Amino acid sequence: MDTNREDIGIAIRSALIDKGTKQKFSLFVLIILSIIFIFIETIETKPFNFFRIFLKDIIYRGSIAVSIPSKSFGNFTDYVKEHVNLYSNYSQLKKENEELKNNISKTDFLELENTQLRKLIEEQIASSSNLVSARVMLDKQSPYLNSFVINIGSNKGIKNGMAALDGKNFIGRIVDVNFFSSRVLLISDLNSKISVLIEPSAYHAILSGHGRNKPTLEYLPEKHTIQNGDKVYTSGQEGIFSPGIPIGEVIIENNFITVLLFSDLSQITFINIIL
Amino acid sequence: MAYIYKQIKYKFFELLPVLLLFFISLSGNSIVDLKFFSINVHYILVYYWVLRKPQILGYGYIFLSGIISDVIFGFPLGINALSLLIIASVAAYIRVVTVRVTLVNDWISFIPALLFANFIYFFSLYFSNYSIDYLYLFKNSIFTFVFYPILWGIFSMMLNLSKS
Repeated sequence: MDTNREDIGIAIRSALIDKGTKQKFSLFVLIILSIIFIFIETIETKPFNFFRIFLKDIIYRGSIAVSIPSKSFGNFTDYVKEHVNLYSNYSQLKKENEELKNNISKTDFLELENTQLRKLIEEQIASSSNLVSARVMLDKQSPYLNSFVINIGSNKGIKNGMAALDGKNFIGRIVDVNFFSSRVLLISDLNSKISVLIEPSAYHAILSGHGRNKPTLEYLPEKHTIQNGDKVYTSGQEGIFSPGIPIGEVIIENNFITVLLFSDLSQITFINIIL
Repeated sequence: MAYIYKQIKYKFFELLPVLLLFFISLSGNSIVDLKFFSINVHYILVYYWVLRKPQILGYGYIFLSGIISDVIFGFPLGINALSLLIIASVAAYIRVVTVRVTLVNDWISFIPALLFANFIYFFSLYFSNYSIDYLYLFKNSIFTFVFYPILWGIFSMMLNLSKS
Protein backbone atom coordinates (compact mmCIF):
# COMPACT_ATOMS: atom_id res chain seq x y z
CA MET A 1 0.00 0.00 0.00
CA ASP A 2 2.81 2.37 1.02
CA THR A 3 4.80 1.40 -2.04
CA ASN A 4 1.77 2.13 -4.21
CA ARG A 5 1.39 5.58 -2.67
CA GLU A 6 5.10 6.16 -3.09
CA ASP A 7 4.85 5.22 -6.77
CA ILE A 8 2.04 7.73 -7.33
CA GLY A 9 4.08 10.37 -5.51
CA ILE A 10 7.11 9.67 -7.67
CA ALA A 11 4.98 9.78 -10.84
CA ILE A 12 3.40 13.11 -9.88
CA ARG A 13 6.80 14.56 -8.96
CA SER A 14 8.28 13.32 -12.19
CA ALA A 15 5.40 14.76 -14.24
CA LEU A 16 4.96 18.11 -12.52
CA ILE A 17 8.07 19.15 -10.66
CA ASP A 18 10.95 17.66 -12.65
CA LYS A 19 11.93 19.48 -15.80
CA GLY A 20 11.62 17.19 -18.78
CA THR A 21 14.15 16.87 -21.56
CA LYS A 22 14.56 20.12 -23.50
CA GLN A 23 12.11 21.86 -21.11
CA LYS A 24 13.11 25.17 -19.62
CA PHE A 25 10.38 25.29 -17.00
CA SER A 26 8.62 22.66 -14.90
CA LEU A 27 4.86 22.42 -15.11
CA PHE A 28 4.52 23.24 -11.43
CA VAL A 29 6.36 26.57 -11.83
CA LEU A 30 4.18 27.55 -14.81
CA ILE A 31 0.96 26.58 -13.00
CA ILE A 32 1.98 28.81 -10.09
CA LEU A 33 2.83 31.57 -12.58
CA SER A 34 -0.64 31.26 -14.17
CA ILE A 35 -2.30 31.52 -10.76
CA ILE A 36 -0.19 34.62 -10.04
CA PHE A 37 -1.34 36.09 -13.39
CA ILE A 38 -5.01 35.47 -12.51
CA PHE A 39 -4.43 37.08 -9.13
CA ILE A 40 -2.61 40.05 -10.68
CA GLU A 41 -5.65 40.67 -12.95
CA THR A 42 -7.60 41.69 -9.87
CA ILE A 43 -4.98 44.25 -8.80
CA GLU A 44 -5.28 47.73 -10.30
CA THR A 45 -1.89 49.39 -10.00
CA LYS A 46 0.03 51.44 -12.55
CA PRO A 47 2.90 49.00 -13.29
CA PHE A 48 0.53 46.03 -13.66
CA ASN A 49 -1.86 48.05 -15.82
CA PHE A 50 1.03 49.20 -17.99
CA PHE A 51 2.23 45.61 -18.41
CA ARG A 52 -1.29 44.38 -19.28
CA ILE A 53 -1.89 47.21 -21.76
CA PHE A 54 1.48 46.67 -23.44
CA LEU A 55 0.97 42.90 -23.68
CA LYS A 56 -2.57 43.20 -25.06
CA ASP A 57 -1.64 45.81 -27.66
CA ILE A 58 1.21 43.61 -28.93
CA ILE A 59 -0.95 40.47 -29.06
CA TYR A 60 -3.77 42.28 -30.90
CA ARG A 61 -1.29 43.45 -33.58
CA GLY A 62 0.12 39.94 -33.85
CA SER A 63 -3.36 38.53 -34.17
CA ILE A 64 -4.14 40.89 -37.06
CA ALA A 65 -1.02 39.69 -38.91
CA VAL A 66 -1.78 36.01 -38.28
CA SER A 67 -5.43 36.43 -39.31
CA ILE A 68 -4.53 37.73 -42.78
CA PRO A 69 -4.40 34.29 -44.50
CA SER A 70 -7.65 33.05 -42.93
CA LYS A 71 -9.33 36.40 -43.63
CA SER A 72 -8.22 36.26 -47.28
CA PHE A 73 -9.48 32.70 -47.53
CA GLY A 74 -12.80 33.77 -45.99
CA ASN A 75 -13.09 36.62 -48.51
CA PHE A 76 -12.33 34.23 -51.34
CA THR A 77 -15.00 31.73 -50.25
CA ASP A 78 -17.51 34.58 -49.87
CA TYR A 79 -16.64 35.70 -53.39
CA VAL A 80 -17.20 32.19 -54.76
CA LYS A 81 -20.45 31.82 -52.81
CA GLU A 82 -21.70 35.16 -54.15
CA HIS A 83 -21.12 33.98 -57.72
CA VAL A 84 -22.79 30.65 -57.08
CA ASN A 85 -25.84 32.32 -55.53
CA LEU A 86 -26.07 35.05 -58.17
CA TYR A 87 -29.27 33.86 -59.84
CA SER A 88 -31.18 33.13 -56.62
CA ASN A 89 -30.08 36.52 -55.23
CA TYR A 90 -31.32 38.23 -58.39
CA SER A 91 -34.75 36.57 -58.14
CA GLN A 92 -35.01 37.46 -54.47
CA LEU A 93 -34.00 41.07 -55.08
CA LYS A 94 -36.54 41.37 -57.89
CA LYS A 95 -39.27 40.14 -55.59
CA GLU A 96 -38.15 42.45 -52.80
CA ASN A 97 -38.05 45.39 -55.20
CA GLU A 98 -41.67 44.81 -56.17
CA GLU A 99 -42.70 44.61 -52.52
CA LEU A 100 -40.78 47.78 -51.71
CA LYS A 101 -42.44 49.65 -54.55
CA ASN A 102 -45.83 48.68 -53.11
CA ASN A 103 -44.84 49.79 -49.63
CA ILE A 104 -43.15 53.01 -50.61
CA SER A 105 -46.04 55.31 -49.83
CA LYS A 106 -46.53 53.70 -46.44
CA THR A 107 -42.83 54.04 -45.67
CA ASP A 108 -42.77 57.75 -46.52
CA PHE A 109 -45.28 58.47 -43.81
CA LEU A 110 -43.51 56.27 -41.25
CA GLU A 111 -40.16 57.81 -42.15
CA LEU A 112 -41.49 61.28 -41.53
CA GLU A 113 -42.85 60.25 -38.17
CA ASN A 114 -39.62 58.46 -37.37
CA THR A 115 -37.52 61.52 -38.28
CA GLN A 116 -39.58 63.68 -35.98
CA LEU A 117 -39.26 61.25 -33.09
CA ARG A 118 -35.53 60.75 -33.67
CA LYS A 119 -35.03 64.51 -33.68
CA LEU A 120 -36.51 64.64 -30.23
CA ILE A 121 -34.17 61.92 -28.97
CA GLU A 122 -31.13 63.21 -30.83
CA GLU A 123 -31.43 66.62 -29.27
CA GLN A 124 -30.84 64.97 -25.92
CA ILE A 125 -27.92 62.91 -27.17
CA ALA A 126 -26.21 65.63 -29.18
CA SER A 127 -26.36 68.10 -26.36
CA SER A 128 -24.50 65.92 -23.89
CA SER A 129 -22.31 63.70 -26.06
CA ASN A 130 -19.10 63.93 -27.98
CA LEU A 131 -18.55 61.15 -30.49
CA VAL A 132 -15.32 59.60 -31.67
CA SER A 133 -15.19 57.05 -34.49
CA ALA A 134 -13.28 53.77 -34.45
CA ARG A 135 -12.69 50.81 -36.71
CA VAL A 136 -13.24 47.22 -35.61
CA MET A 137 -9.73 45.80 -35.53
CA LEU A 138 -10.40 42.24 -34.37
CA ASP A 139 -13.71 40.50 -34.46
CA LYS A 140 -12.86 37.11 -32.99
CA GLN A 141 -16.27 36.09 -31.81
CA SER A 142 -15.26 33.98 -28.86
CA PRO A 143 -17.84 31.28 -28.18
CA TYR A 144 -17.85 32.47 -24.59
CA LEU A 145 -17.60 36.23 -24.90
CA ASN A 146 -19.36 38.42 -27.48
CA SER A 147 -16.98 41.28 -27.94
CA PHE A 148 -14.61 42.89 -30.40
CA VAL A 149 -11.48 44.99 -30.36
CA ILE A 150 -11.39 48.53 -31.79
CA ASN A 151 -8.38 50.50 -32.99
CA ILE A 152 -8.46 53.34 -30.46
CA GLY A 153 -7.72 53.37 -26.78
CA SER A 154 -6.55 55.73 -24.09
CA ASN A 155 -4.67 57.65 -26.83
CA LYS A 156 -8.09 59.02 -27.92
CA GLY A 157 -9.53 59.43 -24.46
CA ILE A 158 -11.43 56.16 -24.32
CA LYS A 159 -12.40 55.01 -20.85
CA ASN A 160 -14.07 51.95 -19.41
CA GLY A 161 -17.87 52.01 -19.46
CA MET A 162 -18.26 54.36 -22.45
CA ALA A 163 -21.14 53.57 -24.80
CA ALA A 164 -20.43 52.14 -28.26
CA LEU A 165 -22.79 52.99 -31.11
CA ASP A 166 -23.31 51.61 -34.58
CA GLY A 167 -24.45 54.78 -36.34
CA LYS A 168 -26.86 56.02 -33.71
CA ASN A 169 -27.79 52.65 -32.27
CA PHE A 170 -26.40 51.35 -29.00
CA ILE A 171 -24.41 48.14 -29.40
CA GLY A 172 -22.30 47.79 -26.26
CA ARG A 173 -19.83 49.34 -23.88
CA ILE A 174 -16.09 49.58 -23.43
CA VAL A 175 -14.77 47.03 -20.96
CA ASP A 176 -11.02 47.07 -21.48
CA VAL A 177 -8.84 50.00 -22.55
CA ASN A 178 -5.24 49.79 -23.81
CA PHE A 179 -3.08 52.52 -25.43
CA PHE A 180 -4.02 51.82 -29.04
CA SER A 181 -6.95 49.42 -28.68
CA SER A 182 -10.04 48.78 -26.58
CA ARG A 183 -12.50 45.93 -26.17
CA VAL A 184 -16.23 46.51 -26.67
CA LEU A 185 -18.55 44.13 -24.83
CA LEU A 186 -21.63 43.70 -27.03
CA ILE A 187 -25.15 43.84 -25.61
CA SER A 188 -25.70 40.25 -26.70
CA ASP A 189 -23.05 38.98 -24.28
CA LEU A 190 -24.02 37.05 -21.16
CA ASN A 191 -22.19 39.59 -18.99
CA SER A 192 -24.10 42.55 -20.44
CA LYS A 193 -26.90 44.06 -18.33
CA ILE A 194 -28.17 47.46 -19.51
CA SER A 195 -30.82 49.63 -17.91
CA VAL A 196 -33.40 50.45 -20.60
CA LEU A 197 -36.62 52.34 -21.20
CA ILE A 198 -39.45 50.94 -23.32
CA GLU A 199 -41.58 53.25 -25.41
CA PRO A 200 -44.48 54.08 -25.60
CA SER A 201 -45.27 52.47 -22.23
CA ALA A 202 -42.27 54.16 -20.50
CA TYR A 203 -41.46 51.02 -18.51
CA HIS A 204 -37.99 50.63 -17.08
CA ALA A 205 -36.27 47.24 -17.43
CA ILE A 206 -32.90 45.54 -17.66
CA LEU A 207 -31.75 44.28 -21.04
CA SER A 208 -29.79 41.06 -20.50
CA GLY A 209 -27.58 39.45 -23.11
CA HIS A 210 -27.75 35.70 -23.70
CA GLY A 211 -24.79 34.94 -25.94
CA ARG A 212 -26.04 33.62 -29.23
CA ASN A 213 -29.72 34.27 -28.58
CA LYS A 214 -31.50 37.63 -28.66
CA PRO A 215 -31.21 39.77 -25.51
CA THR A 216 -34.24 39.69 -23.23
CA LEU A 217 -36.01 42.24 -21.06
CA GLU A 218 -35.98 41.50 -17.36
CA TYR A 219 -37.41 43.08 -14.19
CA LEU A 220 -40.50 44.42 -15.93
CA PRO A 221 -43.60 45.28 -13.88
CA GLU A 222 -45.84 42.23 -13.34
CA LYS A 223 -48.83 43.62 -15.22
CA HIS A 224 -47.01 45.21 -18.11
CA THR A 225 -48.61 45.94 -21.46
CA ILE A 226 -45.59 45.57 -23.68
CA GLN A 227 -46.35 44.70 -27.28
CA ASN A 228 -44.50 43.59 -30.36
CA GLY A 229 -42.75 46.51 -32.01
CA ASP A 230 -42.33 48.65 -28.86
CA LYS A 231 -39.04 50.55 -29.02
CA VAL A 232 -36.21 50.05 -26.53
CA TYR A 233 -33.84 52.89 -25.56
CA THR A 234 -31.12 53.33 -22.96
CA SER A 235 -32.66 54.82 -19.84
CA GLY A 236 -29.48 56.45 -18.53
CA GLN A 237 -30.56 55.51 -15.01
CA GLU A 238 -27.25 53.87 -14.19
CA GLY A 239 -25.59 57.23 -14.78
CA ILE A 240 -23.10 55.93 -17.35
CA PHE A 241 -24.84 56.18 -20.72
CA SER A 242 -26.84 59.05 -22.15
CA PRO A 243 -30.57 58.40 -22.06
CA GLY A 244 -32.57 57.81 -25.24
CA ILE A 245 -30.04 55.94 -27.36
CA PRO A 246 -32.01 53.55 -29.59
CA ILE A 247 -31.30 49.83 -29.07
CA GLY A 248 -33.99 47.77 -30.76
CA GLU A 249 -37.63 46.75 -30.79
CA VAL A 250 -39.59 44.29 -28.71
CA ILE A 251 -40.47 40.87 -30.09
CA ILE A 252 -42.60 38.56 -27.96
CA GLU A 253 -41.77 34.91 -28.71
CA ASN A 254 -43.35 32.10 -26.66
CA ASN A 255 -43.93 34.43 -23.68
CA PHE A 256 -40.28 35.54 -23.80
CA ILE A 257 -39.82 39.26 -24.28
CA THR A 258 -36.82 39.52 -26.55
CA VAL A 259 -35.32 42.53 -28.30
CA LEU A 260 -34.49 42.59 -31.99
CA LEU A 261 -31.50 44.90 -32.19
CA PHE A 262 -31.49 47.73 -34.73
CA SER A 263 -27.89 46.86 -35.60
CA ASP A 264 -26.65 43.55 -36.95
CA LEU A 265 -23.78 42.88 -34.55
CA SER A 266 -22.02 40.56 -36.98
CA GLN A 267 -21.78 43.24 -39.69
CA ILE A 268 -20.11 46.09 -37.89
CA THR A 269 -16.97 47.70 -39.29
CA PHE A 270 -17.02 51.23 -37.85
CA ILE A 271 -18.44 52.35 -34.55
CA ASN A 272 -18.87 55.58 -32.60
CA ILE A 273 -17.89 55.96 -28.98
CA ILE A 274 -19.59 58.55 -26.79
CA LEU A 275 -16.87 60.38 -24.87
CA MET B 1 21.81 17.13 -50.45
CA ALA B 2 19.51 14.32 -49.36
CA TYR B 3 20.81 14.74 -45.83
CA ILE B 4 20.07 18.50 -45.86
CA TYR B 5 16.58 17.85 -47.27
CA LYS B 6 15.95 15.31 -44.53
CA GLN B 7 17.17 17.75 -41.87
CA ILE B 8 14.91 20.52 -43.19
CA LYS B 9 11.95 18.15 -43.29
CA TYR B 10 12.70 16.96 -39.76
CA LYS B 11 13.01 20.53 -38.46
CA PHE B 12 9.80 21.55 -40.20
CA PHE B 13 7.74 18.71 -38.71
CA GLU B 14 9.37 19.32 -35.35
CA LEU B 15 8.35 22.97 -35.47
CA LEU B 16 4.87 22.34 -36.86
CA PRO B 17 3.11 21.65 -33.51
CA VAL B 18 4.57 24.86 -32.01
CA LEU B 19 3.58 26.87 -35.09
CA LEU B 20 0.11 25.35 -34.97
CA LEU B 21 -0.17 26.11 -31.26
CA PHE B 22 0.64 29.79 -31.77
CA PHE B 23 -1.38 30.07 -34.97
CA ILE B 24 -4.58 28.82 -33.35
CA SER B 25 -4.12 31.05 -30.31
CA LEU B 26 -3.26 34.19 -32.27
CA SER B 27 -5.96 33.70 -34.89
CA GLY B 28 -8.56 32.93 -32.21
CA ASN B 29 -9.29 29.51 -33.66
CA SER B 30 -8.48 27.46 -30.57
CA ILE B 31 -12.15 26.53 -30.44
CA VAL B 32 -13.42 25.41 -33.83
CA ASP B 33 -17.04 26.53 -33.74
CA LEU B 34 -19.21 24.71 -36.25
CA LYS B 35 -22.97 24.90 -36.68
CA PHE B 36 -24.06 22.20 -34.22
CA PHE B 37 -20.93 21.56 -32.23
CA SER B 38 -17.54 22.93 -31.32
CA ILE B 39 -14.18 21.35 -30.64
CA ASN B 40 -11.35 22.65 -28.50
CA VAL B 41 -8.38 21.97 -30.79
CA HIS B 42 -6.07 23.65 -28.30
CA TYR B 43 -6.71 21.00 -25.64
CA ILE B 44 -6.26 18.11 -28.07
CA LEU B 45 -3.04 19.57 -29.50
CA VAL B 46 -1.49 20.13 -26.08
CA TYR B 47 -2.63 16.77 -24.72
CA TYR B 48 -1.38 14.79 -27.71
CA TRP B 49 2.07 16.37 -27.98
CA VAL B 50 2.79 16.45 -24.25
CA LEU B 51 1.82 12.77 -24.12
CA ARG B 52 3.69 11.69 -27.23
CA LYS B 53 6.66 14.01 -27.68
CA PRO B 54 6.94 16.61 -24.91
CA GLN B 55 10.35 17.81 -26.10
CA ILE B 56 8.64 19.30 -29.20
CA LEU B 57 5.98 21.30 -27.38
CA GLY B 58 7.68 23.13 -24.51
CA TYR B 59 5.63 23.93 -21.42
CA GLY B 60 6.69 27.57 -21.73
CA TYR B 61 5.14 27.72 -25.20
CA ILE B 62 1.90 26.22 -23.85
CA PHE B 63 1.79 28.86 -21.12
CA LEU B 64 2.45 31.66 -23.62
CA SER B 65 -0.17 30.32 -26.00
CA GLY B 66 -2.72 30.26 -23.16
CA ILE B 67 -1.93 33.89 -22.31
CA ILE B 68 -2.42 34.85 -25.98
CA SER B 69 -5.78 33.05 -26.06
CA ASP B 70 -6.85 34.91 -22.92
CA VAL B 71 -6.07 38.26 -24.54
CA ILE B 72 -7.77 37.37 -27.83
CA PHE B 73 -10.93 36.05 -26.13
CA GLY B 74 -11.01 38.90 -23.60
CA PHE B 75 -10.65 36.75 -20.50
CA PRO B 76 -8.55 37.64 -17.45
CA LEU B 77 -4.90 36.74 -18.10
CA GLY B 78 -3.90 33.28 -16.94
CA ILE B 79 -7.21 31.41 -17.19
CA ASN B 80 -6.59 29.62 -20.50
CA ALA B 81 -2.91 29.22 -19.61
CA LEU B 82 -3.84 27.47 -16.38
CA SER B 83 -6.37 25.13 -17.99
CA LEU B 84 -3.88 24.23 -20.77
CA LEU B 85 -1.19 23.53 -18.19
CA ILE B 86 -3.63 21.29 -16.31
CA ILE B 87 -4.19 19.35 -19.55
CA ALA B 88 -0.40 19.15 -19.97
CA SER B 89 0.00 17.97 -16.34
CA VAL B 90 -2.46 15.12 -16.79
CA ALA B 91 -0.76 14.17 -20.07
CA ALA B 92 2.66 14.27 -18.39
CA TYR B 93 1.39 12.07 -15.55
CA ILE B 94 -0.18 9.57 -17.97
CA ARG B 95 3.09 9.48 -19.93
CA VAL B 96 5.00 8.58 -16.76
CA VAL B 97 2.63 5.80 -15.64
CA THR B 98 1.87 4.13 -19.00
CA VAL B 99 4.13 2.02 -21.13
CA ARG B 100 2.10 1.08 -24.20
CA VAL B 101 0.90 3.71 -26.65
CA THR B 102 -2.63 3.01 -27.89
CA LEU B 103 -5.41 5.24 -29.06
CA VAL B 104 -7.86 3.77 -26.53
CA ASN B 105 -5.49 4.44 -23.60
CA ASP B 106 -4.94 8.01 -24.74
CA TRP B 107 -8.61 8.55 -25.41
CA ILE B 108 -9.79 7.31 -22.03
CA SER B 109 -7.12 9.20 -20.14
CA PHE B 110 -8.22 12.35 -21.99
CA ILE B 111 -11.48 12.29 -19.92
CA PRO B 112 -9.84 13.22 -16.57
CA ALA B 113 -7.71 15.79 -18.40
CA LEU B 114 -10.84 17.47 -19.80
CA LEU B 115 -12.65 17.26 -16.47
CA PHE B 116 -9.79 18.84 -14.52
CA ALA B 117 -9.18 21.54 -17.13
CA ASN B 118 -12.85 22.50 -17.37
CA PHE B 119 -13.19 22.50 -13.61
CA ILE B 120 -10.27 24.92 -13.35
CA TYR B 121 -11.74 26.99 -16.20
CA PHE B 122 -15.11 27.18 -14.48
CA PHE B 123 -13.55 27.89 -11.08
CA SER B 124 -11.32 30.71 -12.32
CA LEU B 125 -14.08 32.34 -14.39
CA TYR B 126 -16.48 32.12 -11.46
CA PHE B 127 -14.04 33.91 -9.18
CA SER B 128 -13.23 36.48 -11.86
CA ASN B 129 -16.98 37.30 -12.09
CA TYR B 130 -17.27 36.25 -15.74
CA SER B 131 -20.44 34.54 -16.90
CA ILE B 132 -20.19 32.08 -19.74
CA ASP B 133 -22.60 29.64 -21.33
CA TYR B 134 -21.88 26.52 -19.28
CA LEU B 135 -24.09 24.35 -21.47
CA TYR B 136 -21.88 25.36 -24.38
CA LEU B 137 -18.78 24.47 -22.36
CA PHE B 138 -20.28 21.06 -21.56
CA LYS B 139 -21.20 20.36 -25.20
CA ASN B 140 -17.75 21.57 -26.27
CA SER B 141 -16.10 19.11 -23.86
CA ILE B 142 -18.21 16.21 -25.13
CA PHE B 143 -17.38 16.93 -28.79
CA THR B 144 -13.71 17.58 -27.99
CA PHE B 145 -13.64 14.10 -26.48
CA VAL B 146 -15.56 12.57 -29.41
CA PHE B 147 -13.28 14.14 -32.04
CA TYR B 148 -10.06 13.26 -30.24
CA PRO B 149 -9.36 10.11 -32.35
CA ILE B 150 -9.55 12.09 -35.62
CA LEU B 151 -6.98 14.63 -34.49
CA TRP B 152 -4.99 11.83 -32.85
CA GLY B 153 -4.75 10.25 -36.32
CA ILE B 154 -3.65 13.51 -37.97
CA PHE B 155 -1.04 14.25 -35.31
CA SER B 156 0.26 10.65 -35.44
CA MET B 157 0.75 11.08 -39.18
CA MET B 158 2.70 14.27 -38.50
CA LEU B 159 4.79 12.46 -35.91
CA ASN B 160 5.54 9.62 -38.31
CA LEU B 161 6.53 12.07 -41.04
CA SER B 162 8.98 13.76 -38.69
CA LYS B 163 10.49 10.36 -37.87
CA SER B 164 10.73 9.02 -41.42
